Amino acid sequence: MEGKSYQRFPRVKIREMRHDYLKFELRDTDASVANALRRVMIAEVPTVAIDLVEIEINSSVLNDEFIAHRLGLIPLTSDRAMSMRFSRDCDACDGDGQCEYCSVEFHLRARCHSDQTLDVTSKELLSSDHTVVPVDFSDASGYEASEQRGIIIVKLRRGQELRLRAIARKGIGKDHAKWSPAATVTFMYEPDIRINEEMMDTLSLEEKTAWVDSSPTKVFELDPSTGKVLVVDPEAYTYDDEVIKKAEAMGKPGLVDITAKEDSFIFTVESTGAIKASQLLLNAIEILKQKLDAVRLSEDTVEADDQFGELGAHMRGG
Amino acid sequence: MQQKRRTSAGDLSHLRELFRHHIESFDYLITAGLGVMLRDIKPVQVHNPHTGETLRNILSFMILFSFILLWFADDPILGRPQKDRSSEPLYPFECRQTRISYTGKLLADIYFQRDDKAPVREQLNFGQFPIMLMSKCCNLRGHDPQQLVSCKEESSEMGGYFILNGLERVIRPVILPKRNYPMSTVRNSFRDRKEGYTDKAVVIRCVRDDQSSVTVKLYYLQNGSARLGVWIQGKEFLLPVGLILKAFIDTPDREIFASLTCCCNEKFEKDKGAVATQLVGERAQIIINEVADLGLRTHLQCLEHIGEHFQPLMGGLENEPYSVVGDAVLKDYIFVHLDKNEDKFNLLIFMLQKLFSLMDQTSVLDNPDSLQNQEVLLPGHLITIYLKEKLEDWLQRTKKLLQDEMKKESNNINFGSVDSLKKVLEKNPTRQISMAIENMLKTGRINTQTGLDLQQRAGFTVQAERLNFLRFLSHFRAVHRGASFAGLRTTSVRKLLPESWGFLCPVHTPDGEPCGLLNHMTRTCRITSYFDAQGNIRDFSKIRMSILNVMIEVGMTPSLPMLVHAGPPADLSVLLDGRLVGYISSKQVERVVAHLRKLKVSAASVIPDDLEVGYIPLSMGGAYPGLYLNTSPSRFVRPVKNISIPAVEGQNIELIGPFEQVFMEIRCPDGRDGGRKDAFPATHEEIHPTGMLSVVANLTPWSEHNQSPRNMYQCQMAKQTMGFSLQALCNRADQKLYHLKTPQSPIVRTKTYTNYCVDEYPTGTNAIVAVLSYTGYDMEDAMILSKSSVDRGMFHGLVYQTESIDLSDTKGSKSQRLFRRSTTDKSHHSLIDSDGLPYVGQTIKPDEPYYSTYDEIKGAIRTTKRKGSEPAIVDYVAIDGKKHLQKVNIRFRHPRNPIIGDKFSSRHGQKGVCSQLWPDIDMPFSGVTGMRPDLIINPHAFPSRMTIAMLLESVAAKGGSLHGKYVDATPFANSEEKVNEETNGEKSKTLVDELGEMLKVKGFNYHGAEVLYSGVYGTELTCEIFIGPVYYQRLRHMVSDKFQVRSTGMVDQVTRQPIKGRKRGGGIRFGEMERDSLLAHGAAYLLHDRLHTCSDYHIADVCSLCGSILTTSSVQPQIRVREMRGLPPMRAPKKVTCHACKSSKGMETVAMPYVFRYLAAELAAMNIKLTLQLSNATGA
Repeated sequence: MEGKSYQRFPRVKIREMRHDYLKFELRDTDASVANALRRVMIAEVPTVAIDLVEIEINSSVLNDEFIAHRLGLIPLTSDRAMSMRFSRDCDACDGDGQCEYCSVEFHLRARCHSDQTLDVTSKELLSSDHTVVPVDFSDASGYEASEQRGIIIVKLRRGQELRLRAIARKGIGKDHAKWSPAATVTFMYEPDIRINEEMMDTLSLEEKTAWVDSSPTKVFELDPSTGKVLVVDPEAYTYDDEVIKKAEAMGKPGLVDITAKEDSFIFTVESTGAIKASQLLLNAIEILKQKLDAVRLSEDTVEADDQFGELGAHMRGG
Repeated sequence: MQQKRRTSAGDLSHLRELFRHHIESFDYLITAGLGVMLRDIKPVQVHNPHTGETLRNILSFMILFSFILLWFADDPILGRPQKDRSSEPLYPFECRQTRISYTGKLLADIYFQRDDKAPVREQLNFGQFPIMLMSKCCNLRGHDPQQLVSCKEESSEMGGYFILNGLERVIRPVILPKRNYPMSTVRNSFRDRKEGYTDKAVVIRCVRDDQSSVTVKLYYLQNGSARLGVWIQGKEFLLPVGLILKAFIDTPDREIFASLTCCCNEKFEKDKGAVATQLVGERAQIIINEVADLGLRTHLQCLEHIGEHFQPLMGGLENEPYSVVGDAVLKDYIFVHLDKNEDKFNLLIFMLQKLFSLMDQTSVLDNPDSLQNQEVLLPGHLITIYLKEKLEDWLQRTKKLLQDEMKKESNNINFGSVDSLKKVLEKNPTRQISMAIENMLKTGRINTQTGLDLQQRAGFTVQAERLNFLRFLSHFRAVHRGASFAGLRTTSVRKLLPESWGFLCPVHTPDGEPCGLLNHMTRTCRITSYFDAQGNIRDFSKIRMSILNVMIEVGMTPSLPMLVHAGPPADLSVLLDGRLVGYISSKQVERVVAHLRKLKVSAASVIPDDLEVGYIPLSMGGAYPGLYLNTSPSRFVRPVKNISIPAVEGQNIELIGPFEQVFMEIRCPDGRDGGRKDAFPATHEEIHPTGMLSVVANLTPWSEHNQSPRNMYQCQMAKQTMGFSLQALCNRADQKLYHLKTPQSPIVRTKTYTNYCVDEYPTGTNAIVAVLSYTGYDMEDAMILSKSSVDRGMFHGLVYQTESIDLSDTKGSKSQRLFRRSTTDKSHHSLIDSDGLPYVGQTIKPDEPYYSTYDEIKGAIRTTKRKGSEPAIVDYVAIDGKKHLQKVNIRFRHPRNPIIGDKFSSRHGQKGVCSQLWPDIDMPFSGVTGMRPDLIINPHAFPSRMTIAMLLESVAAKGGSLHGKYVDATPFANSEEKVNEETNGEKSKTLVDELGEMLKVKGFNYHGAEVLYSGVYGTELTCEIFIGPVYYQRLRHMVSDKFQVRSTGMVDQVTRQPIKGRKRGGGIRFGEMERDSLLAHGAAYLLHDRLHTCSDYHIADVCSLCGSILTTSSVQPQIRVREMRGLPPMRAPKKVTCHACKSSKGMETVAMPYVFRYLAAELAAMNIKLTLQLSNATGA
């Protein structure tokens, strides 16, 4: 382990931040770190989701498992999830998942008395803990704000009834997709686009227009006054090589040179609402750190084998 | 939403059309068919033997069937299983739940007439007759969707099937030879009839009004004469034609000769369309001479000759003069579709001419496998003819009973009173008639002596499985060629012939054993029925009369005043429903045909819209020319546009049949001439090219871009998809139902989806499919599913299973059993409710009890444990609520979420097995959208299979989802004439351009490819990946039903080898081929392990003195071994002796397969001794 240090100091620059959306640049690191971050955000940041459903009455058209499955998929606000315990290693309740440290209880009671169809939504889920409630989407600006009623669980007709008790627990997306806080996490390499101006000047205006239009996304723009082709939005480039192929088809290979910057990434994170998108990133970094710590601490120990299996043995071996 | 539902439910007319032929044929049976059939049953006469000849007329009875059938409006009467006295209506739902048959009472009147006294009328109950759902007798008839739902049916219930013991069964239409059409046939077996027969004959299948049919064959003899083959009482009689001709009408020989030779004209001999040669005259002479040689000169002599020979076979005519018997033979067995003897005479002449022309090779034979010469046996018609035979049998039995009764005690019983007659009738139960029909529907087997002129005795009905909607629908569109062809070695019957174009779907036939025999009707194909478009019963005699009048108006010479006329090529015969009605000049005929077609289309005319104008033009040695008009039911018809007549208010849709289609010029609607140039101008045009495909084949998007076998595979797979099987699932008690929990409507869809309400029963999910080779787990048609997508509900399914428990049928024991829970033993109370039945919603694991019964005599409570290997959830418990709780249906559901090994397929015959449920994070993702595929398939799936439509679907669905709209993928869309296209004169864009443009507008790659990043490494994949949504179906083949595992378990009693069968925990056979491969590898130890150690390993005692393994037996030593203190009693050493040698000296133990001992025993039974020579391991 001697020699030169490869330590780098990644930088994060946040471009856009909304409650459930985050766009940031990650620079000075490589794909492994970026992908690790992505994977952790999707699969390992804990949230709370309904995991256990006890149905008292269900005379709806959907069967018990179906309703339980739908309940599980409802995102719950999970800001507290990082500090909660997994019910499997909860000491207070011997892991049966029925204590305040590891679980939240919900109740749902709905019965249709009218001739109209009653929509049972996530709003009817009553939580025993005000910090863990079904995600409210009504503040999402303008998007059908007039009638925001939560997520429909089931529809009831006259006389049908649904009564149940549900327990939400902490979990991670690796176990079941319902615990995944991320709707989408994706990154792309930042493109580096260089137009060969000399060659570009040899093209006629029509050719330039045709070339600019060959890209399905608006990466280039033709300035109508000067007749110059400008790169307006390099990040809109999807690495589809359409413009390069077009240039070749026009007999001008090398008209444009596009390379991916190996060390800078543009991340887009969309959260399900369980955790704020910015918090999701912070939690992910936290978990990534914990995982690295765990690896480092058990570097020489045999426990590494238990904890990390092959990875531990691999590390000890150098 | 509310609005949308109404429109989709409101337009069930297209769907209804698909089921129509089943329901209409049964409707005809109940409204008129039964009456017609009963009228046709001949009265039975019973003579009183005691009164003697002279008093015959005084004491004889006439028994007639009345033609009145009482049929109550709200039949069937509700029959709670025990008492059928209640007048409440019985609904199909109740039949399905209680496992009874959906039947209505069949009442028929019977007349008793004694001598010439007034007939006495008596109503008899013929039992509970099965009722077709949605027929006129069905309680659901006329219900709107809402009412149907309140009757616990599907909102789009179409009926057309029967419910028997709770099971739904359909009568499968079978192909029959076309009725009343003389067909030239060549068959080698004709030669074997008798000496001097050739292999050629003209065969006609004559059908009576009541649908019963009699086939008559006209054989050609080597000497130039012909014989008429008639089947009477299961035996074929071969009659000289001259005899029959003379027996038909009183006519001089000269006239017979003239009518036979009328088609010979030296003038036309070499002309186009001439059918007769000089030989005809000679043959006619031979025919006439043959009769003369028999010594028969007059009409009466011929009749008496026939009567004399057939009297023993004609029941009921024993005492009639021969001429009457002769008349009866002609009436009942020869050309039964005609009434008048003149018509029969003309038809026989026509058939002779056709036969001679076949011999002279001036016309070709008619292909019996071609749809041109075929029609269908419809459900209602099958029931009619079967019922007729059963009633006739019953009448014969009744006659016999009466006769016996009269012989026995004529003095005691006064047959004058109806009551005494009824007493006799009671011995011949009437209710068996309906039972026979019910049994026929249950088993699909007809139990008949005569064979009913049908080719098969079994396989008439099939169960209408509700696996998914498409499978259910296909049962009603299927047409079977006939069970007798299934065993045939030749493949000619299975061939797809051009004649079936537009009537039978070329794509939708299963592969394998029933390939080409089980066909499906196309979307537009219909079958003619007794009902016209307004729903009134047609009066065929009236229709025929009006057609006749029209024909005479346009210049046909009527045949009846028997005049000598010319034959083809000058004049053509006109046959109307198998009756020679006249002749028409071949110069006029084309004009007449066009005129008839015009009348067909016009709404005002008396000519029915489905009249078949089968015009076979003159040709050089082609089909025998003529104008064959058909009005009969059960023909195939399909609509085409008649473009030769001006469309009056869109009224130019003509219904054509396969017989006429062959000689018509029908063009494709692409506006081009189809290569016929100006030589044969098209007179008709297809409405839409998709009309040649069945409903299921129409659901494949852009199927014209696929390799054709793939479309066939899709038709197969669509029918075994786990879909949204039923809307009224909660009311069903089917034995097994598959159900997809989270179905979607396809984004890329054909117009058929909307037309036939397929969206009410979706069969799959729009899955995001990436085509790439990722990790190798998608090799060889395996596919990788995203675990997260499955977690979120993709392809989640259920299997419902209903178990019916009926405690009332006690086999053997007389004690009554009830459902009851034990009050003392509380150990099962968590599983069984207080009524002895399981809790609804309860999960029952294998070997857990789920219901308990109480035996009233034994006073004991027994619990029943669940079999099977997987847990099930109690979905629903239905009880038959009578005073004793004895009959229940318990419906279980098994959650079946996708696991490794489950089978999926796209709509393009691309099936595969899930090989991995890959976590979301490991799936490749798009850098731009973050999209991860739900499913990964291998690119190798495409090159050899050429399912281009699947690629198109992916691109189109991607574009469609980006634009938020459905994409129409109706096949052959560009072969339709586009009106604006021609006006613009601009070439429209190709399909690919259209789809690519949709993507490009939204900033996606034109070709549907995207740059993806590896989910594991985060690096860009080296090439662009084709990704987009494709509609995927989950097939019903699931590993959970198929996996087989065994370490130890049950063994066979005889051989002690492991048993086979997954259900019983058996093993998989390690057979000879497997053995060979291990031998070839030299894996001897493994081989020994498989075939011996893990199979029937056995240690046998062998007597080395005599070499026997059978004579040894172990002897329990008599001496007690002393018990040692504190130790268990010592087992005495086993002592084995040989019975043969009376010694235990040479005893050895040898390991051998147990079957070897069995072999020795079997050989010993045959007096063969098997000896073993033992040596030690070092070798002797």
